[in-house]
Amino acid sequence: MVTRMERLFGRPKEKIRRNAPITSLAFVSVDLELTGLNEKRDAIVSIGAVKMTGGRILLSDFFYRLINPNIPFRGPSVTIHGITPSDVHASDGMETVVREFIDFCGDDVIIGHCVEIDMAFLGRDIRKLTGRRFRNKSVDTLSVYKWLLSRNYYNMDNTLTKNSSLYEIAKYFSIPVEISHNAIMDAYITAQLFQRFIPALQCCGSQQIGDLLRIGNPSKGGVIVSGEFSNF
Amino acid sequence: MSLYGTSFSRGCVVVILDEVVLFLRKVPPFQFLSDRALKGAIKGIVSEFYPKGSVIATVGGPGDEYLFVIRKGGAKRSLYREGEETLVDYRGEGEVIGYLSLFGEDVPWTNITAIDDTICYLLRKDRIKGLIDTDDEARKLFSKSFLHPLNKNAVKDAQNFTYSCGEKILFSTRVGDIAMRNLATAPQDISIREAARLMTQRRTGSLIFLDAAGAPIGIVTDSDLRDKVVSQGRDVNEPVSTVMTSSIHSVDAGDYCYEAVLMMIKNNVHHLIVMKEQRLWGILTNHDLMLLQGTSPLAIVKDIESQSSVNGLIPVSGKINGVYNMLLSDGARAGNVLRIITEINDRLVRKVITLTEEDLSPPPVAYAWIVFGSEGRKEQTFKTDQDNAVIYGDPADELEAQAAHDYFARFSVLVRDNLLKVGFPPCPGNYMASNPIWRQPLKTWKKYAANWTATPSSKAVLNTVTIFDSRTINGDESLLTAFREHLQSHITGNRLLLGNVASLSIKNAPPIGFLKAFVVEKSGEHKDMLNLKVKGVAPIVDLARLFALEKGVGITSTLKRIESLADTHSIVKEYAEELIHAFEFIMLLRIQHQFEKIRRGLPPDNFIRPDKLTNLQKRTVREAFQIISKIQGMVIERYREMIW
Repeated sequence: MVTRMERLFGRPKEKIRRNAPITSLAFVSVDLELTGLNEKRDAIVSIGAVKMTGGRILLSDFFYRLINPNIPFRGPSVTIHGITPSDVHASDGMETVVREFIDFCGDDVIIGHCVEIDMAFLGRDIRKLTGRRFRNKSVDTLSVYKWLLSRNYYNMDNTLTKNSSLYEIAKYFSIPVEISHNAIMDAYITAQLFQRFIPALQCCGSQQIGDLLRIGNPSKGGVIVSGEFSNF
Repeated sequence: MSLYGTSFSRGCVVVILDEVVLFLRKVPPFQFLSDRALKGAIKGIVSEFYPKGSVIATVGGPGDEYLFVIRKGGAKRSLYREGEETLVDYRGEGEVIGYLSLFGEDVPWTNITAIDDTICYLLRKDRIKGLIDTDDEARKLFSKSFLHPLNKNAVKDAQNFTYSCGEKILFSTRVGDIAMRNLATAPQDISIREAARLMTQRRTGSLIFLDAAGAPIGIVTDSDLRDKVVSQGRDVNEPVSTVMTSSIHSVDAGDYCYEAVLMMIKNNVHHLIVMKEQRLWGILTNHDLMLLQGTSPLAIVKDIESQSSVNGLIPVSGKINGVYNMLLSDGARAGNVLRIITEINDRLVRKVITLTEEDLSPPPVAYAWIVFGSEGRKEQTFKTDQDNAVIYGDPADELEAQAAHDYFARFSVLVRDNLLKVGFPPCPGNYMASNPIWRQPLKTWKKYAANWTATPSSKAVLNTVTIFDSRTINGDESLLTAFREHLQSHITGNRLLLGNVASLSIKNAPPIGFLKAFVVEKSGEHKDMLNLKVKGVAPIVDLARLFALEKGVGITSTLKRIESLADTHSIVKEYAEELIHAFEFIMLLRIQHQFEKIRRGLPPDNFIRPDKLTNLQKRTVREAFQIISKIQGMVIERYREMIW
C-alpha cells in the first residue's frame, strides 16, 4: 500500500526484484474505454482492472469506474463500448477515480493489451490531476503473444498470427468474449490471456520478472536476443 | 474491493463474479447454498490456469489452502506407490478436488495432474471451513459432498463399494425416505391396557398420543410397557399418561438421517417423530436407521424380502429410483450402479416368482426361471421390459408332461401379470415365458439350440445371441447350465454362425465421422441427438458377446466378459482396459441422462444432445467411439468372408 506521504512526495524507486519468479509478482490487468485514440483530444470514459498474483486472477479484487470526461462524446466510440453521455453524466469526476485507481494499483505491474495506449492516457491524466508521474511498470500482452509466436510456441496457422485484436486472440485460447467491450470485462479477458502466457513463457525459458518486463515491452518490439534469458 | 463492487458509480453489473456465481450454481454442493452462504464461500476466490500435463497438487505437497473446482478442462488423480502410478479417477468440469482436506487431512491425498489445459477456481478453505462451522445448511451440504467417493475406498476393489455405502447413506438419505408413514395415534385419556391393545392391533412398537388439537404430546413404546408397567406391577387400568414419555423429539422429513442418529444418541431415545411442514408425518425408529446403515442399499432388499404379498412389493419397487439417486449423487461408477440395481431388481423378480409359486401348488417338475436381454447381462438401468423364459426338467411320462405343461402355462401368465404390477412392462417382442415357445422342457430347448445354429437365419441368430445372454434368476440353475453347454457345443467352431453374429456386431458403426461434431440422428423427433444405446452401448455389448461366443465364456455381463477374456482373447487382450472404460463411461452418461428424465417426470430415453456435453465428456465419448470403431474394424478383418 502506498502511504499518503509517498503519494505527496513521489514514490520510492521501484522495488521489483528482477530475478524473482514471475509467479510471485503482483499484477493489475487494466483496460480503458476511451472517447477516441487521440491523446490530445480524447478522454477516458471508464477504467476496469483486476488483480493477479502470478497466474492467479483474484476474481473478487477488481476495480471498475465510469468517468465523466466533461468533453463531448464522439460518434463511433459510443457504439463500441456502449457507454453513452447519460451513463457517465452522474458518475465520478476524473480526479476521484484517478486517486482511487492509483491506490488500487499500488506498485503492481500493469498488464494490458496494447498497454502503451492505456499507459499514455493514464499517465497524462494522472500527471494533470495529481502532478505526479505514473511510474508503474507495464507489460503488453500483445508483445508477449508475438514473442511466444516468434518462438513457435503455439502451433497456429499464419492467418491467426496476423490478427492482433484482443478478442481474436482470446477466442483462439477459448476465452469467452461474449460480454465484452466494457473495461472490466476486457481487463478480465486480458488477465486470462496473460494467465495462459505465464506457463508458456516458463516453457520458453523465461522464468523471471526481468525476462517478462523485457518481452512485454512494446518499444523493444517484444524481441530479445537469445542469451538474455534468466536460465540461459 | 468489496464483493459485487458496492462502490460502483452506476448500476454496472460485475460480470467477473457473476460468471463465477453462475457457474457454481451448477456445481454441487455450491448450487444448493443460499446466496449469502455462496457469497461467503467465494470471498477471495482466484482462478488459475494449468496447462495440459502440469501438476495441480501433489501428495504431501504444500498443504494447499484452496479447494479446487474445475472450471474447464479435466484432471486425473493418481497415487504413486513405489514409483508406480495408480490411476484413481478422472475429474471433469464442475467437479471439486480437495473435499477430504476440509475435514481434517491437510495434505491432498492424491497427485492431481491436468489432462488438458485446465482452469480451476480456487476457493479458500478457511472461508469454507468458517461457513461449515457457522451455517447448518452449508455443513450438511458439504458433509454430504465429502462423502463423494474421493475417499480411499475409491481405489479399492469395487466390491468394497457396498460396504462404504453404509456410512454414506446416512448423509445422503433423508428421514422422509425411510420413516414409517403408518403410525398409530390415540387420545391420551385411554388406559394402559387400551394402549397395549391398540399397539397389538396395529402391530406397532409405539403409540403416539395427541392432544385435542391433534398435536403430538407423548409416546409409549414397547419398552415403556416392559420397564414401567410389567416390571413394576403397575395396574393396567391406570391412564396411559402415567407411563407416557412426554418429552418427544422430532426431526423434519427433509433432514438427513445422520441428524436423526445424532438426536437419538443425544437424547437416548429410539423413536423420533417425523414432521413435515409442521405436521405429524411419520415415525422413525433406530431400527429403521440400523437397517439403512447396516445393509444399504440392501435395506431395500430387506424390505423386499419381508413382504408377503405382491401388492406389498409395489411401494418397495417405487423406492428403487431413490437408490439411483443416492448412488448417482455419491458419484458411483456405472459398473457399481448396474450391479446394485441388478441385485435389487433380481430380488424383486425372485420375490414375485416365489410369491406367485406359493399361491399355486408346488411345481410338478424342477424349473429354471431365466432372464435375458439387459437383465440377463446384469445391465438393466431403469426398469426395462420383461425378457424371460422357463426351462423345466424333462418330464418322466405323458402324465407328468401334461401336468408340467398346464402348471407352467398358468404360472408364467401369473408371474407376467405380477411383474407388471411391480413395474416391469411386458416385452413387446413377446420374449416371455407366458409365450408357449419360451416355456419348454430341457429337451425341447436343446432342439431349439440345434435348429438355430444349424441354419442361421437372421431370426435364429437373434434367438441364439438373446439366449446366450441368459442367466437363472430363480429355480434350478443346472437346467440352464445343461442347455448352455448344449448350445455352446453347437457354436464352437461354427464359423457360419459366428460370422453372422459378427455381422450383427458391426452393424452399428459408432458416429466418428467428424473430428469435432458427432454424426447424430439426421431426422425425426430426435434430430441432432445422439442415441447412446444404439451407437454406444449396443456395439460394445455385441462385440463382447461375439468374443464370449468365440471362446465359449458363460458369463453374461459385458464388463465381466471383457475382464475374463483379457488373458485369452487376442483382441480383448490388447483393448480390455479401453473397452471397459468406454463402456463404463457411456453407461454412466446414459444412466445420468435417464435419471434426469425421470426426475423431471419424463419417460427415460437414450437420446442425448451432444452440444450439452462438457468438452471433457465430448472427448471421452469420442475416444470411446474410436475404440469401438477400431475393434469393429478388427472383427471385419477377421470375418471378412462371412460378413454380409
